[in-house]
Amino acid sequence: MHPLAESQLLRTRRSFLRAATGGAGLAALTSLLGGEAQAEGSPALPHFPPRAKRVIYLFQHGGPSQLDLFDHKPALAKLRGVDLPASVRMGQRLTGMTAFQSSFPTAPSIFRFARHGRSGQWLSELLPHTAKVADELCILKSLHTEAINHDPAVTFFQTGFQLAGRPSIGSWIAYGLGSENQDLPAFVVLVSQGVGGSQALADRQWGSGFLPTRYQGVKFRSGADPVLYLSNPGGYSAEARRRFLDDLARLNDLKFRQTPDPEIQTRIAQYEMAFRMQTSVPELTDLSQEPGATFELYGPDSRKPGTYAANCILARRLAERGVRFIQLFHRGWDQHGNLPQEIRGQCQQTDQASAALIQDLRQRGLLDETLVVWGGEFGRTVYSQGALSETNYGRDHHPRCFAMWLAGGGVKPGMSYGETDDFSYNIVDKPMDVHDLHATILHCLGVDHTRLTFKFQGRHYRLTDVHGNVVREILS
Amino acid sequence: MRVWLAALVAAPLCAAPALEFNRDVRPILSDKCFACHGPDAAAKGIPLRLDQEAAAKSTARGRPAIIPGDPENSELIRRITHARRGLRMPPAHSGVTLAAGEIETLRAWIAQGAPWQKHWSFLPPRRPEPPQVPQADWVRNPIDAFVLARLERENLAPSPEAPRETLLRRVSLDLTGLPPTPAELDAFLRDGSPDAYEKAVSRLLASPHYGERMAARWLDAARYADTNGYQFDGERSMWRWRDWVIGAFNRNQPFDEFTLEQIAGDLLPNATLDQRIATGFNRNHRANTEDGIIPEEYAVEYVVDRVETTSTVFLGLTMGCARCHNHKYDPFTQQEFYRLFAYFNNVPEHGRAMKYGNSPPLVAAPTREQQEAREALARRIETIERRFAAEGDALARAQRAWESSLAPAPAQFWSPAVGLDAALPLDAPGAERVDGAPSFVPGRLGQAARFDGASLLAVPGAAQFDIDDRFTLSLWLYAEAAPHGALVTRMSDRPEGKGFGLYARQGRLHFHVTSNYVNDALRVDTEPVLRPNRWHHVAVTYTGSKMAEGVALYLDGRPADFRVDMETLYRPFRNAGAKFTEPLRLGGGGGKENRFRGLLDEVRVYARVLPEEELQALALGTPVHELAAKPAARRTEIENRVLRWQFLAVAAPASIRQAWQEWQTLREQAEQLERTFPTVMVMAERPQPRDTFLLIRGQYNTPGEKVMPGVPEVFPPLPPDAPNNRLGFARWLTSPDNPLLARVAVNRYWQMLFGVGLVKTTEDFGSQGEWPSHPDLLDWLATEYMRTGWDTKALLKTIVTSATYRQTSQAAPALAQRDPENRLLARGPRFRLPAEMVRDQALRAAGVLTPHIGGPSVKPYQPDGLWKDLIMQDMEYVQSKGPDLYRRSLYTFWKRTVAPPMLVNFDAANREACVVRENRTNTPLQALNLMNDVTFVEAARLIAQRMLREAGPAPADRLRYGFRLVLSRPPSAAELEVLKGSLEFHRDHFAGRPEEARRYLRQGDSPPDPALPVPELAAYTAVASLVLNLDEAVTKE
Repeated sequence: MHPLAESQLLRTRRSFLRAATGGAGLAALTSLLGGEAQAEGSPALPHFPPRAKRVIYLFQHGGPSQLDLFDHKPALAKLRGVDLPASVRMGQRLTGMTAFQSSFPTAPSIFRFARHGRSGQWLSELLPHTAKVADELCILKSLHTEAINHDPAVTFFQTGFQLAGRPSIGSWIAYGLGSENQDLPAFVVLVSQGVGGSQALADRQWGSGFLPTRYQGVKFRSGADPVLYLSNPGGYSAEARRRFLDDLARLNDLKFRQTPDPEIQTRIAQYEMAFRMQTSVPELTDLSQEPGATFELYGPDSRKPGTYAANCILARRLAERGVRFIQLFHRGWDQHGNLPQEIRGQCQQTDQASAALIQDLRQRGLLDETLVVWGGEFGRTVYSQGALSETNYGRDHHPRCFAMWLAGGGVKPGMSYGETDDFSYNIVDKPMDVHDLHATILHCLGVDHTRLTFKFQGRHYRLTDVHGNVVREILS
Repeated sequence: MRVWLAALVAAPLCAAPALEFNRDVRPILSDKCFACHGPDAAAKGIPLRLDQEAAAKSTARGRPAIIPGDPENSELIRRITHARRGLRMPPAHSGVTLAAGEIETLRAWIAQGAPWQKHWSFLPPRRPEPPQVPQADWVRNPIDAFVLARLERENLAPSPEAPRETLLRRVSLDLTGLPPTPAELDAFLRDGSPDAYEKAVSRLLASPHYGERMAARWLDAARYADTNGYQFDGERSMWRWRDWVIGAFNRNQPFDEFTLEQIAGDLLPNATLDQRIATGFNRNHRANTEDGIIPEEYAVEYVVDRVETTSTVFLGLTMGCARCHNHKYDPFTQQEFYRLFAYFNNVPEHGRAMKYGNSPPLVAAPTREQQEAREALARRIETIERRFAAEGDALARAQRAWESSLAPAPAQFWSPAVGLDAALPLDAPGAERVDGAPSFVPGRLGQAARFDGASLLAVPGAAQFDIDDRFTLSLWLYAEAAPHGALVTRMSDRPEGKGFGLYARQGRLHFHVTSNYVNDALRVDTEPVLRPNRWHHVAVTYTGSKMAEGVALYLDGRPADFRVDMETLYRPFRNAGAKFTEPLRLGGGGGKENRFRGLLDEVRVYARVLPEEELQALALGTPVHELAAKPAARRTEIENRVLRWQFLAVAAPASIRQAWQEWQTLREQAEQLERTFPTVMVMAERPQPRDTFLLIRGQYNTPGEKVMPGVPEVFPPLPPDAPNNRLGFARWLTSPDNPLLARVAVNRYWQMLFGVGLVKTTEDFGSQGEWPSHPDLLDWLATEYMRTGWDTKALLKTIVTSATYRQTSQAAPALAQRDPENRLLARGPRFRLPAEMVRDQALRAAGVLTPHIGGPSVKPYQPDGLWKDLIMQDMEYVQSKGPDLYRRSLYTFWKRTVAPPMLVNFDAANREACVVRENRTNTPLQALNLMNDVTFVEAARLIAQRMLREAGPAPADRLRYGFRLVLSRPPSAAELEVLKGSLEFHRDHFAGRPEEARRYLRQGDSPPDPALPVPELAAYTAVASLVLNLDEAVTKE
């Protein structure tokens, strides 16, 4: 953002608060919302007409294998067990887990690939449902990253930097664009568990870094309290809470009359927002009113709260309500060993619901204004980690190439972008790095990634640091 | 913000034309031009620099950018006002534009002769005379003169003093983090003496809670946490460092000393334990334990973190910007970054940290109680030793009589009894046989087991040690060829398996502790060689240190030199909840190819580290009667000792035997106690200094030129007598010539008390930082701090007793609008409490706050399953019980990846990296937190209980009492009316809902007072909760 616009944005928010007067029932304004920017009309954002109003980011945590899902390499079948040629590996760094391995046997995918849809996209048999929406997908096959371990790699995808401390992409977008909904946060996170062992996640992955904390992602959880501390204490009714808030507003208002500090009014408004969240969030997370057809579309898991499939339904409901950045994390893609069995399980948990989300958004007319992103933090190696057999193998982390897909607002459907070599080891055409992806996502939202900035420690930081190019070829 | 503030700070141009470069001009040049025309210009191929006066005014390349007195001919002005967009600066692609006012400022400054100044914060602070002000009776100390002078320039008047109760609550929160108790309030209000306030301040500064309050912000800056961070985020133990910080503030350690000890306490001559603990400051950074990392990469990150944190905390500089390239704004080259890096790059550490617990280098850091317990044991041990000495002659006579009575059969052998885990004499079958039957043949002591290279013996349940346990393995062996194969192991029976084992390998002794053969193991091999066709006694001791220094190998009772093959052990066998159930094996373990061929005898396993003399004694292998038969003069020392030990164990008078038993037990107790001592990760130096290289683009694997340690050129050099190492750096840092340390420190105190620093950018005193709102006041405070010997309590006392601090925070709307952040200080501070105070205040008002200072971190209420949602399998949040639920929030266990949600909601620093700027937001999550978190609901009920028990019977009195517990003042009549209405409502509400009332009261571990009527208590609880949720309750006024 232009530094002047940066200060204006913050200032407008403040002056808006200052202008607001009165006690209870004041329209909610700030905080999580960031919505006042919209309400006031920020001078700077969006920079140009957006193609998408919001993002649903389906983060596949652990590093899904591009070789077994998207990147079809038929020539590998003949090379099973052959040591990966040094000319391919080019001595690049390996993780500490396989760096000491004495050989690097090529492990072709045991899963069958076929072309799907009018676009003829290649997909593996693990993704039968995704195959049905192949014509909606823009499959990126030439992503690459700098990190080779989970935490730095996820942090890089989330914040544009490998070390913790910078704002996450959702926070940047909440800061820049605010929310369309007065009763819900601008940035919501939903986490689900995969099969088998999962790598750890951290709250900071959706943290606001040096941006004000009101832009941090709010994690919704399954169970009684979808948002921490949302429910009234046992035995304390909503009716009593209403009266409580009225009295609270009266007392705070008495204070304000004596000490005209705008923070007091903001606080009054935040309590009202909290009260509305006590209704709007349970209403949002209560799937009991969804018709049976919804659950049929998203699959049997979707009836179980906290599953990826149930979270996909929630993602659609959040999108309907105008939440700006909706991010799912599904854990369990880290298949160093026993990959064939585990990846089957992961796909059973995610394939149908991911495809259903696309279909559902489409039939509700939301797909054109919602950018859906599917992908993990890196790919996996073509060589087997540990023993290779006819039916079993493992794969180590692979940062040099991997696949993701985009769908919906702003991107070309039914295409694939970029190409890797015969081993899916190096990129041979159209490499795309994490900054490019970030720049492109922001572009779809009408944001110039070079102009969304925040001054911290003397520097005007941005999500893409000093990097990033919008990949125009995939834009519709 | 800058634009707005500049308008506030700088008077309108027409009115006051004298511009000051540092205040008015440098910020524009820095923010709008330096990114290209600054210290890193050359790297971009840009010839013009505007950060240096000579370059900016140089005629060397044609028309100068700046011609003093001639703005219209200055290239700078020509270009920033150029009509053609393509030629106008800043260029369009930069996204940077100059406002019209900024262009005018530059033009006016050049017209005034373009006077230059060195960046203000790099010049030493000079002590200004407090200005003369007309309203002198308002001035209580020099602070007020500086503030008032500025207010008078702005045509503003200071506000009156705050009401006394407000003032006491303000200063109590500021100095101890806790509100005053009703008794403290009453005493203060009763005290009519003119220095009543000064006395209260002195009382607060002397409170042990002062140290806790000051430590809270220091922990933010020092990125203190109870876990390692990154992905696995296992537990670490740095609380002894945290307690050292609390203690240092409480004993008012001079700030320069406080600084020096944290940077280089370990390098001071005869460094004390406390001085070494202090250096934990620079080990508080995150540490990566992930399996697949490249350790060198993270070793670099740790050093970078130290440089960045040290620069931010003590210098207010953003040195991290120069990691990859020259600083864009400040005069620091990339090379200078790595010269600072070199001071911190000599720690004997590994890039991959221990998965559980602390990573070396570390020190055992017993608490005072533990030190006392250890000394008590030592005294008891000494008492027994004195008794032995006193009875020396009699004992010697008795021993001689016993020696001469010893019969050859049955042969007695001495062996240590304490800590014995398994004794396997191998005289007959006993253990489980695997893969064939070892035969039993005459051995070194009685029979021995003969292994044929295929068979082994398994002993389930023995030697259940993990990588952090101590143990000893001792045995005799005999082989006809160079001994080879597994001797005694507890590991999976496959090559390169998990576990530990003592081996012979081609005649050398080999010991390993392995979690993963490839990258997570400790392996050592002896230099001396075992010979065939003779008996050898061999032993290994291991302290559980995970490091080679914790291993000793013994060959025939003598310590054997060994080589370290691998030293990267970091994950326990129980990692991620794994079960490790392998039996102890003799002659095998590690697969069939590793089975032993030869004889093993007298295998002994101890759950302690046997000292050398005991292993020497075991290696004698001579029956006691043979030793006794030797003339005393020809016995070796160890032979004499064995005789003595055996006598004391079996033949001495009963009371002596008992004392001997006790002596051994006490010694073992002392060792066990020492093993419970907490440790702290500390700084240390490698014996051989490590070279430091500039890292191209900041990457660990692209070293450039070698650099020597040193400080940036813009600053004075190291003091002449200082060594060029970390200690020298610390001396430089704390030297009075350093222009930054005192300014940066006093500015943080100011921020703590007033909400915003005199320099708002607490973390950045460089060119992109903010010009101080009161430069003279900042320098006066800085010089005052140094003048008083860096006396923190005195400085704080000066500030909080100033008239400036004592003003009311109630502001007229016009003032609030004109100066929303209160930078001009025409009123007292009013801002939301820091996260920890929001909770601590509620606990204090509830009367349950546990006042205990220090100790391991605790786990108060937290919603269920928070950790489980995100982390890996084997860490669970086990909530504390009893008083530990009510400790101050400073002691709340801080897990970096899933930080305490209540503290996070209220903007606590993230503890991932250094944070010195306080951050405050106002969100609905905070509202939900205060209304519904069990912490605050339980506190409300406890406050209600106090209202009902401690105040009179009248509802109004009870309401007043509860209100005052939180806010330190009685409610106004209007407020009381609202409270009464709320009480009435809730009474009615709960009267018809007794079951709901009961549920409402059952929040938290403490039981509701059964003597109080349920609906009544519930109604008061709701009102107490109302009070805790007030804006004023979470605000310092």
